[in-house]
Amino acid sequence: MDEIIVQTKGITKYFPGVLANDHIDFELKKGEIHTLLGENGAGKSTLMNILDGIYHPDKGEIYINGNKVHIQSPFDAMANSIGMIHQHFMLVDTLTVLENVALGLKSQGFYIRKPEIAKQIKQISQKYHFNINPYSKIWQLSVGEQQRVEIIKTLFRGAEILILDEPTAVLTPQESDDLFKIVKKLVKEGKSIIFISHKLDEVMEISDRITVLRKGKVVGTVNKNDVTKSHLAKMMVGREVLFSLKRKPLKRKGEVLKVKELEAYNDKGVKALKKISFTVAASEIFGIAGISGNGQKILAQVITGLRRATSGKIIVNEIDITNASPKAITSSGVNYIPPDRLKVGLIPNLNTVENAILRCYDREPISKRNFIDYKEAAEYTKSLIRKFNIMVPKIDAPVKLLSGGNMQKLLSAREIAEEPKLLIAVHPTRGLDVGATEYIRKQLLKERDNGLAVLLISEDLDEILMVSDRIGVIYEGQIMKVLNIKDAERNKIGLLMAGVDSARN
Amino acid sequence: MLLFEKRENVSTKLKVAIPLISVFLGLVAGGIAILFTRTNPLIVYQALVKGAFSSVYTFSETLVVAIPLILISAGLIVAFKMNFWNIGAYGQYIMGAIFGSFFALNMPATMSRPLLLAIMCLAGILGGALWGLIPAALKAFWEVNEVISTLLLNYIALYILKYLMYGPWRNPASHGFPLSKPFELNAQLPRLLMRTRVHLGLVFGIIAVIIIYILITKTKFGYEIRVIGENKRAARYGGINITKNIFIAMAISGGLAGLAGLAQLSGVIHMLQIEINPGYGYTAIIVAWLASLNPIIAMFVSVVFGGLETGGYQIQMAIRVPFGIVGTIESAVLFFLLGGEILKRYRIRFRRNTS
Repeated sequence: MDEIIVQTKGITKYFPGVLANDHIDFELKKGEIHTLLGENGAGKSTLMNILDGIYHPDKGEIYINGNKVHIQSPFDAMANSIGMIHQHFMLVDTLTVLENVALGLKSQGFYIRKPEIAKQIKQISQKYHFNINPYSKIWQLSVGEQQRVEIIKTLFRGAEILILDEPTAVLTPQESDDLFKIVKKLVKEGKSIIFISHKLDEVMEISDRITVLRKGKVVGTVNKNDVTKSHLAKMMVGREVLFSLKRKPLKRKGEVLKVKELEAYNDKGVKALKKISFTVAASEIFGIAGISGNGQKILAQVITGLRRATSGKIIVNEIDITNASPKAITSSGVNYIPPDRLKVGLIPNLNTVENAILRCYDREPISKRNFIDYKEAAEYTKSLIRKFNIMVPKIDAPVKLLSGGNMQKLLSAREIAEEPKLLIAVHPTRGLDVGATEYIRKQLLKERDNGLAVLLISEDLDEILMVSDRIGVIYEGQIMKVLNIKDAERNKIGLLMAGVDSARN
Repeated sequence: MLLFEKRENVSTKLKVAIPLISVFLGLVAGGIAILFTRTNPLIVYQALVKGAFSSVYTFSETLVVAIPLILISAGLIVAFKMNFWNIGAYGQYIMGAIFGSFFALNMPATMSRPLLLAIMCLAGILGGALWGLIPAALKAFWEVNEVISTLLLNYIALYILKYLMYGPWRNPASHGFPLSKPFELNAQLPRLLMRTRVHLGLVFGIIAVIIIYILITKTKFGYEIRVIGENKRAARYGGINITKNIFIAMAISGGLAGLAGLAQLSGVIHMLQIEINPGYGYTAIIVAWLASLNPIIAMFVSVVFGGLETGGYQIQMAIRVPFGIVGTIESAVLFFLLGGEILKRYRIRFRRNTS
């Protein structure tokens, strides 16, 4: 068990202006689950991409089974039995599982021997209880299943060392549990796992040892049994972290949002919202909990005018905004933090100023008649940056160069600065590090204290429990139940999320 | 082994150096092609530059070719900024020429020259704009791919022109050739310089470039089309009216192509015929991209392209190399320029294979 299978010595990697990895020493023992813990930008993914041959270190050495190796490409990594499962899957949607596994195999010639590969996939699938049909097309599979295909791909190529890069970021709680079972099974079969994460709960659940990185340096390596969650958090962030937020009890005031028997269809033409009704009051955070794909995204799109409602009503401050234009809805006091900052919320190639003014570019003082005063716009942007503590090195550089946390802060700042009556926030902290997450949640609470009505849609149940005043559980396009925060128990909500109402049965 | 690493930011030095080196390498490659005609490439290049820029006359001819390129590329930049692939400047140019010619051929020769020219210019803009609005409407209401619709409308415009030339608009005195009556003096754009063909279109081009530059960098419209072009979903989320902007952008894009067509007729050709150089509509696409969608840079790139064409005619006559050589040089330069774009996006490293 104490045999060291992977060792790095003094790995150093520079990117223009950043020291991403600074003399990193790391070792993986055979048969262990070793977690690499750190905030976004701490250098976890850089180190793993070096092991996988995608990046090349400027300094430092890598040893596999005691032998010094030079890993030039993912092919080399594979030859050294290293396989990486990336956060964003490297699969071709329109091809089958089998074809994806066969893709790039050097052992295959001009012809692909499909039955042979299918047999091996089935063997792997049975051994680890993956339950994957080699002939399914990738797009037909759920995200969790697609991830298993990625694991099959690496096992098929003979991987002994598996690197999982933030594997749970895209999974539901249930899917995560399934993944952990698989990971434990893999270890039992003698594989060694490097697990990358910044979620402390799961790190404590799965790891044998934990190496914490901060700003490209190793803070320390610890045995799981020797540490606590808050200890790890302190190592990771460099200061104390709050696991619960203080919340003033507030009385429900007037209802700002009223949703009445709302119905809508998704892109596939399936009814995604079924006569859904609820209300959100001023000074209230109404959290919607549910497993991904139960209509949450559709709900946010319909309320913000980005998707048509087929029946029902949406009323904001006594004004009917059902199927109004996005612009009309915004100007009636509704702002929106969309789930996908790079695809919807921001324009990655435009600069910080151009992104900051998306909501206010067409009114004074930013625009006069038909012209935009970019000086005024820059001033406005700087005031947002100051007020919301956003780290922006150059305001005229493309916004895609910012870190995820700063992008999300910019986006939230832009929406909150509009002083809306109702804020719809969907996955506002997804993919963010501890510091940024804490900041965004505090900001939501602060605005709530100032009288804002917030509709919070999140798949992170901890987040919902931490900030909501009331919680509605959504299942297959319907609200199963609305609970007050003091009656909200994790188990009860978990069951409701799976469509089971204990009170009814 | 060759390694490609993604670049996040490109330094200004590289931004200037890469195109310059690319052009140089393109000229070297073109030079090899020239060697096959048993001519010294240096002499050809010297003659090319001389033929394009050396005298007032040759430079004026270069400008004559640059005028339509400047006008069309300025318009195309508006559409391209919005990520609307207008491949139809060819057709919009023809429709502008046809609409403008209608007034040139039907108004009395005694009509005031500035008035007639103003009417013709407006008609040219209108013709191009209408032809540009068809694909805009198809896209806005039925999501028809604009690459296909603009391209096909080019052929329709060409056949409308052919119909008019072989049919109702043919000059009875042209001995059966598909030519219209020549334009009277009051329908001809004034020349800017004695004994050259540089016409008032150059002024239109410069004004257009300035207006488009301000439009893109200073106005709300410019901001909206940039947001639409970079991220359509963010534009919808931000409440930007995408349909309206497609219409406005295509009216401008088509309108300027139409004005270019009209200016070419009224300033250079002085009659309507089948060959009115609509191919500038395609060349201008290359001009716009080489200029990274900056209208001011596009103006200078247009002059360079004008020089290549004029110089090409000159070397054909002076050194007797085939005109095809010019096309070869032009393509070689383009090939290297586009190849150089890869260097802007990736850093390339060499590494010995050690494992």
